[in-house]
Amino acid sequence: MSCLYLYRVTKRFGGVSAVNNISLEFEEGKIAALIGPNGAGKTTLFNLIGGQIRPDEGEILCDGVNLSRKNPWQVAKAGVGRMFQDARVFQNLSVRDNVMLAFPGQAGESAMWSLFARPAVGRQEFLLNKQANALLKTVGLLDDAGRRARELSYGQQKLLAVARLLASRPRVLLLDEPTAGVTPRTAEKILGILRGVAAAGNTVVVIEHNMNIVSQFVDVVHFMEWGRVTLSGLPEAILEESHVKHVYLGAHAV
Amino acid sequence: MIASSLPARIPIACLRKKVIDQIVANGIVTGCSYALVAFGFALIYNTTRIFHFAHGAVYTFSIYVLYSLQTKLAVPTWVAILFSLALTALLGVGIDEVVYQPLVRKKSSLLLLLSSLATYMTIVNLLIMVYGNEIKVLNPEIQSTYVFGNVLLSRLQVNTILFAVAILTSASLALRLTKAGRMIRALRDDVDLLSALGVNPRFLRWLVFALGSALAGVAAVLQGLDVGANPNSGLLMFVSGAVAVIIAGGRAFEAAIVGAFVIGVLHAFAVWEFAGRWEESVTFLLLILFLLLRPEGIFARTRRVEESA
Amino acid sequence: MKYSLHVANMMAIYAILSLSLNLLVGYTGLLSLCHAAFFGVGAYISTLLVTNTTLPFFLCVAIGVAGTIILSCLISFPSLRLRGDYFVLASLGFQTIVFFVLYNWVEVTSGPFGIAGIRSPHIFSWILDTPHEYLLLSLSAAVLSGLLLYFLGASPFGRVLKAIREDELAAASLGKNIRLFKVTAFAIAAGFAAFAGAVFAGYLRYIDPTMFGLTESVFILSIIIVGGAGNTLGPVVGTFLLVLFPEVLRFLGVPESIGPNLRLVIYSLAVIIIMRFRPQGLAGEYKYQ
Repeated sequence: MSCLYLYRVTKRFGGVSAVNNISLEFEEGKIAALIGPNGAGKTTLFNLIGGQIRPDEGEILCDGVNLSRKNPWQVAKAGVGRMFQDARVFQNLSVRDNVMLAFPGQAGESAMWSLFARPAVGRQEFLLNKQANALLKTVGLLDDAGRRARELSYGQQKLLAVARLLASRPRVLLLDEPTAGVTPRTAEKILGILRGVAAAGNTVVVIEHNMNIVSQFVDVVHFMEWGRVTLSGLPEAILEESHVKHVYLGAHAV
Repeated sequence: MIASSLPARIPIACLRKKVIDQIVANGIVTGCSYALVAFGFALIYNTTRIFHFAHGAVYTFSIYVLYSLQTKLAVPTWVAILFSLALTALLGVGIDEVVYQPLVRKKSSLLLLLSSLATYMTIVNLLIMVYGNEIKVLNPEIQSTYVFGNVLLSRLQVNTILFAVAILTSASLALRLTKAGRMIRALRDDVDLLSALGVNPRFLRWLVFALGSALAGVAAVLQGLDVGANPNSGLLMFVSGAVAVIIAGGRAFEAAIVGAFVIGVLHAFAVWEFAGRWEESVTFLLLILFLLLRPEGIFARTRRVEESA
Repeated sequence: MKYSLHVANMMAIYAILSLSLNLLVGYTGLLSLCHAAFFGVGAYISTLLVTNTTLPFFLCVAIGVAGTIILSCLISFPSLRLRGDYFVLASLGFQTIVFFVLYNWVEVTSGPFGIAGIRSPHIFSWILDTPHEYLLLSLSAAVLSGLLLYFLGASPFGRVLKAIREDELAAASLGKNIRLFKVTAFAIAAGFAAFAGAVFAGYLRYIDPTMFGLTESVFILSIIIVGGAGNTLGPVVGTFLLVLFPEVLRFLGVPESIGPNLRLVIYSLAVIIIMRFRPQGLAGEYKYQ
């Protein structure tokens, strides 16, 4: 049983295939990592899944729903959540609002409801506020809930982005370098949360450059190069491949 | 049946051919002015990414300077024109120095656009306060006309074409052949690159604003001598120029010239079709149509999704 | 006394205009130059109904608002996919086209002559034809609009608008249908502008197209730039200052012939200065990133 399927997905920019005929499946309950040199097409692959760009060929399926022709918001509604490389929290919104607005199915998002069914919207806000508090507590930002997101440190912004992502209740989580640029403690916290999310039966995919994290933390590794997935397997196997070592550690390591 | 209807149709067809030739000619003349404004706007917009609304006011300013010099000082026309172009270039540089430069650091295109719009309003309303809202005649002489085949053009219209072609060609060549021109073309591709290489981008910006504004000034002078000075004409010219740049889509400055002629000819046809009181709306209708129907010229070329804000 | 009542009426009307434009500019981050067009369309539809039919005033207003909302959707749906600068340019185009239609469609709008002698609105048999009686109407309209717009801004709906303003791509990746939110915000703003237009026409009892031109759109925009956008206080402060300002000029004895242009020069200079030194305006939140 797996949740996210890619079938022969191709995307060309000009004459170059940024993603070239990739077929992959990502299983529920597991954390998969995409690794590979810069320009291998990892982020492009995320953009294709997330609907930010459309594939030229191939299909992307999540729980049997075809995502390959959907807009980003439709993809998100279908249960695929995305965390961007540089967190992209809403800088001038409060930390709490960043999380609150991510919850799906809010009646108050309709202008009519928020004007003419204010008690009902208020009750829902009250419940969501509690859930937001719980999420903020998980990432350790509850005390900062009233501050503007731009006042947070970079690591805290990444934690906020994780909380926001969880609030949108995705079943597939795509995270572009979730631990880049944060302290080891914060990285540990983020990885711990992701481990829990995966254990609850969700699918987690990360783009990761830190090979320590890949080797200790990830269940499956896909090595990408020139728009193709050239190696897939368990981390200990992939990281032992001489070619991968060559890319990551330089020629002298082989 | 076709044969029987032919004799009746031929004279009409001849007439239409003649009318169409004249319309196209008028469109090309208007297109020349649009092209000058558009080229200037493209120079500024493509290198600084500032949606330079005030370009329209710069255009208007130049006509009124000419008007003042002609009526108050009675200097020869060509001296007045050169002087007004110099002042126009100076105004362009001044706007960049006073209004845009302090905002560049904030990296917000919305701030720049609002400031530019406010600059437009300031200059145009100052001009109205000084000169009034009525149209001023700059060139009361009756124009001699020339006939080219089916087409009748006034001397000024012929001059417009000659001047526009000469100036646009030399500007385009200067951008390719001179050192400063090549740097401006590099500025178009990457602002940061130049400062990294040690070229002073500030000086290049002055050059861009001076040249861009002077080009608008040339269009203003040519149009002004033809139809007079009107404080609100700058907006229409600016919009036409901006649309030309948008149609062109790409980043080549010369592409805007093609766009300008397209608009000029379309405008001439539209005016002939719905003449009179709807004339000015045509430009704006074309604006909307181009914005909505030609999105590929409008959206930024494919970037990494993360870069778009 | 009569004069200050007039200023109070105008403030109420401009408060509706600036607060509704604020929903677009301050909350959604959409710079629109066609707010005066909606103001005008609302004024014209309701006025034409008032003068040509026997429908009660409030029904005419409601139809004017509904008609303007439909128009706004026709405009916004195709043009909202344009990015930043081009959307501004498109809104400028719509503003100008609406103005030309009001100006040139003489058969319906009387063109440049405008429509004079508009009946004053009445509540049952009570005719609101003096400035102080009308102030009741315009003030309650302003308070009602301000309250509704405040509720919208503070609701989950407003929260999503702010998120769109901050980062469209991130908002979309959270499952928010950006286009729908933008079209809705645009329609709401247009509806309130039309409401203000109907109240305005009922007050002045005369309208002509020059009241609803590009200059007017820029003026409304200046109000929220000077006062500040992104909250309720900013537009209110801006309205107070900028609507009062002509009276200051009058008080200083500036001649009537250059008054309007001098005003625009000063407003525009104020905008340039605000953009440079205090982009959030005097009392606003949003800094035009």
